[in-house]
Amino acid sequence: MKAFLHRVIPVVLGLVLCASAGASRRFDAATIERGRYLATASDCIACHTAHHNGAPMAGGLVMSSPVGDIVSTNITPSKRHGIGDYTEQQFADALRKGIRADGQPLYPAMPYVSYAALTDPDVHALYAYFMEGVPAVEKAAPHTSLPFPMNVRMSMKVWNALFLDPQPLARTEGRSAQWLRGRYLAEGAAHCSTCHTPRGALMQEKKELNMAGSQVGQWYAPNITPHPTAGIGSWSEAELAQYLRTGRLEGKSQAAGSMAEAITYSFSHLEQADLDAIAHYIKSLPPVDLGETGTPGAPRFGQGQAGHALGEVRGQGYAAGMAGPQLGAQVYSANCASCHGASGEGTRDGYYPSLFHNSATVGKTNLIAAILLGVDRKTADGHVFMPPFGDQPNALNRLSDKEVAALANYIGVKFGGGDASVKPEDIAVIRQGGPRSPLLTMARVGMAIGVLVLLALAFTIVRRRRGKVGA
Amino acid sequence: MPNLKSADVVIVGTGVVGVAIAEKLLDAGIGVLMLEAGPRVSRAEVVENFRNLPLARKGDPSSCYPPAPWAPHPMPSLETPEDAYLQLSGPDKYAQTFIRYAGGSTWHWAGTSWRLTPDDMRLRTKYGVGRDWAFGYDTLEPYYARVEHLLGICGPSDPGLQWPPVEQGTPRSRPYPMPPLPFGPGEQRFTEVAASLGYKNIPTSQARNSGMPYDDRPACCASNNCVPVCPVGAKYDAATALGRLESKGAVIQANAVAYRVEANAAGRIEAVHYLDQDKRSHRVAGKLFVLACNGIETPKLLLMSKDARHPNGLANSSDQVGRNMMDHPQLTMTLTLSEPYWAGVGPVVNSGIMETSQGDFRSEHAGAYLRFNNFARNRFVTFNALNKGLVGKALDAEIRRMTACTADVVLAHEVLPHADNRLTLSGKKDWLGLPKPAIHYDVGDYTRKSAQVYSVPLGKRIAQAMGATDMKIATKFAQSKHIMGGTIMGHDPRDSVVDPDCRAHDHDNLFLPGGGAMASTACGNSTITMVALGLKAADAIVRQMGRA
Repeated sequence: MKAFLHRVIPVVLGLVLCASAGASRRFDAATIERGRYLATASDCIACHTAHHNGAPMAGGLVMSSPVGDIVSTNITPSKRHGIGDYTEQQFADALRKGIRADGQPLYPAMPYVSYAALTDPDVHALYAYFMEGVPAVEKAAPHTSLPFPMNVRMSMKVWNALFLDPQPLARTEGRSAQWLRGRYLAEGAAHCSTCHTPRGALMQEKKELNMAGSQVGQWYAPNITPHPTAGIGSWSEAELAQYLRTGRLEGKSQAAGSMAEAITYSFSHLEQADLDAIAHYIKSLPPVDLGETGTPGAPRFGQGQAGHALGEVRGQGYAAGMAGPQLGAQVYSANCASCHGASGEGTRDGYYPSLFHNSATVGKTNLIAAILLGVDRKTADGHVFMPPFGDQPNALNRLSDKEVAALANYIGVKFGGGDASVKPEDIAVIRQGGPRSPLLTMARVGMAIGVLVLLALAFTIVRRRRGKVGA
Repeated sequence: MPNLKSADVVIVGTGVVGVAIAEKLLDAGIGVLMLEAGPRVSRAEVVENFRNLPLARKGDPSSCYPPAPWAPHPMPSLETPEDAYLQLSGPDKYAQTFIRYAGGSTWHWAGTSWRLTPDDMRLRTKYGVGRDWAFGYDTLEPYYARVEHLLGICGPSDPGLQWPPVEQGTPRSRPYPMPPLPFGPGEQRFTEVAASLGYKNIPTSQARNSGMPYDDRPACCASNNCVPVCPVGAKYDAATALGRLESKGAVIQANAVAYRVEANAAGRIEAVHYLDQDKRSHRVAGKLFVLACNGIETPKLLLMSKDARHPNGLANSSDQVGRNMMDHPQLTMTLTLSEPYWAGVGPVVNSGIMETSQGDFRSEHAGAYLRFNNFARNRFVTFNALNKGLVGKALDAEIRRMTACTADVVLAHEVLPHADNRLTLSGKKDWLGLPKPAIHYDVGDYTRKSAQVYSVPLGKRIAQAMGATDMKIATKFAQSKHIMGGTIMGHDPRDSVVDPDCRAHDHDNLFLPGGGAMASTACGNSTITMVALGLKAADAIVRQMGRA
């Protein structure tokens, strides 16, 4: 009984203390509300909440990165499992410098390189929101364990010294308030460059190619510079703002993957003036043409036309179709035609998009990812959901690498103006999480070489000594 | 963990009832092995089977589900009575269809999910006919709500449009998870015509994602192809849940035809024996067994499992196994209308007049549920147009006219349980050498009288109000493929097969959930009640496994 009381009393005391702490709020409602808006603009929830009914901001989402899986952390004000013990300074350092309260560096999956742009008042508002606007979740998120040597967090200090700019937004003259606001949001909170800017060998953003497009896990974040063919030069600012609000631009493009998450959790909730500002800024960027995947020399939004190959599959039976030379057409008919139409035309109301005049079918990466992973996007206009065709429990049909490759080639050629260059190996790469970074191999090879050099040195020294002894 | 030799619970059948039970058990940490007689096929294959059919066979919902040789099921448009899987006799033919595939017959159900009413469950007490249920509506209500959320059943939030009607004092414990689907033009007109005669045509509560994704499945795309297959999985069918069950640890063994349930001297079930597609026999042991193979295959398997101690088959000390076979005998009125109705916009069944299934007349004759079938008509009328000898544009114009200006109105009746409506084992054998089911059936005077004095006269009034210029009314009852009664539920082991948890009176660790347990049919489709009984059984199984 005594032991029981010993255990219970601290718990009860703790509860009382918590309750009293909760009663004395440190921040006013307006500040917390501003923090909530900034947290929405920063899309914290997309990464820091596990899919399928995870508690908001409690972490646990597993994100595939080119160097391994990273698990997001609990950033609720739980003192035990979250960031409830963080001082405002510690919070600011995590946000803008990528340094945790214990001094350990964060991995740059946390976009602190972008958040470095956040102003002190905004960091203060965010702190207020995270301390008093988010319900504490008393549950630990699983730890991230990257493969060696990426698990040596201290290496990030070197990375930060090389690539973290503490003042990322240079002073400029003669820019409008709208442009400045757009830049602040796009380069800061909304961290567009985290996905859309190509990265170098050490995973750093290549600033000279800002927003020119990059592979992000299983998806390709396309070129959103105003280049007329490689980028979104053919979009008006109003169209870009509409896309950010709704996730789609009929006859051009729609958001999937992590952009769908950004639309769902972030952009669709921002004020119109802020969306306009972001669009205004993005459209002012220097146009870039990487000449890479997804930019075949003509705008990716107007490719292809309606068409089908039903005459070559119909009437011979499913098994024959699946074994025959028209595999792609057969897979399309069985899996895609019910919604997107026999000829890829979609529906007249646009609820099911056409597959021609649609950037999703141009370039192979996002086409493969859309097939394997589907689309899931929520806005005020409703919940857009295309089922996946990968290995998921809810996959409408589980398509093999060969079937997806044939389908991607059929769609790519018919509707995306592409060639039939997708191979089953390409599907396997996207299925397992996207291309891996050579960084891991480089680091390991580098260390192996280091070890070999050391061994060689040791060997030489020993031989010399032996030589001396023998002499 | 379950393996292919034994499991905590062995479930025979991967249809909607078995799947609902399996998930509940898995969530409770109980290992599950499921045996499925038929093959496991992809939705892609079924969809293409349908598309490749000649038009004449597209109206038969079984056509795109060719049976495996070892797991035959009825194929109405291909069979002769002599070689048919179901050997039928009696004044009315119990011509059911069902699918022996992983996922079962919800592959081609319409998704219609009418609850029973309190009165439907006390026919004996209230009207002096049929049987009362072993419990009242209040017991079933929470399970109905669970089914609606498990399967994703959409329906109206307005109590005035809900079923059962508010007059029977049946508050719903939870709202539907999704709103109803909008009416197409034909249903809209039908609703107005019904209202002009004083009848309320209400939205069908149905297992279909209305305007939103649900259960990680997409929204209905209005392909009007719910029967025979939803191409996108917007309609719930049990095949959509199989991957999820496996992700939770279930082992699903397809092409495993259970042919004997083995009881020990104490009457407890020890094992199920099955044949694979190479005719090899396997034995699967377990602590508890669930037969959820539908209202024909479950009694058949019990009868096939007879041994020295159980000469009439398992679970059959009452001699009720295979008796009381029931369905919803239906008559279809095919109408030619003076003005276009345009059936076929939206799902195939989307509304119905249910109030005509209730009333004091039930002491004299059956009630009926009237529905405007919302199947697109072109599939059915094309041959009529061809038979008129038309070609070219005239043919197109006639197909279009008849697609718009014809309609089917279906009168679905209830039927009473009767011991002579009976499933037995035929002397004819299937591919594996197992006996085919033989079924004797007579819908009975109670139902016939309804057609004579009630449902057909009512249907004719509605047809006239719809502007029918021609009316063809079926003279023989057709079956609705809602198989009920063969393992009937009751408190008394002398005249019923299962207890209120669908546990066999004779075998403590054998459960027979589903339509077979239903003690009355009412007029609405049976699936939601079958699954509600399945979830009730699942709760009992979890309790029982916890005690073991």
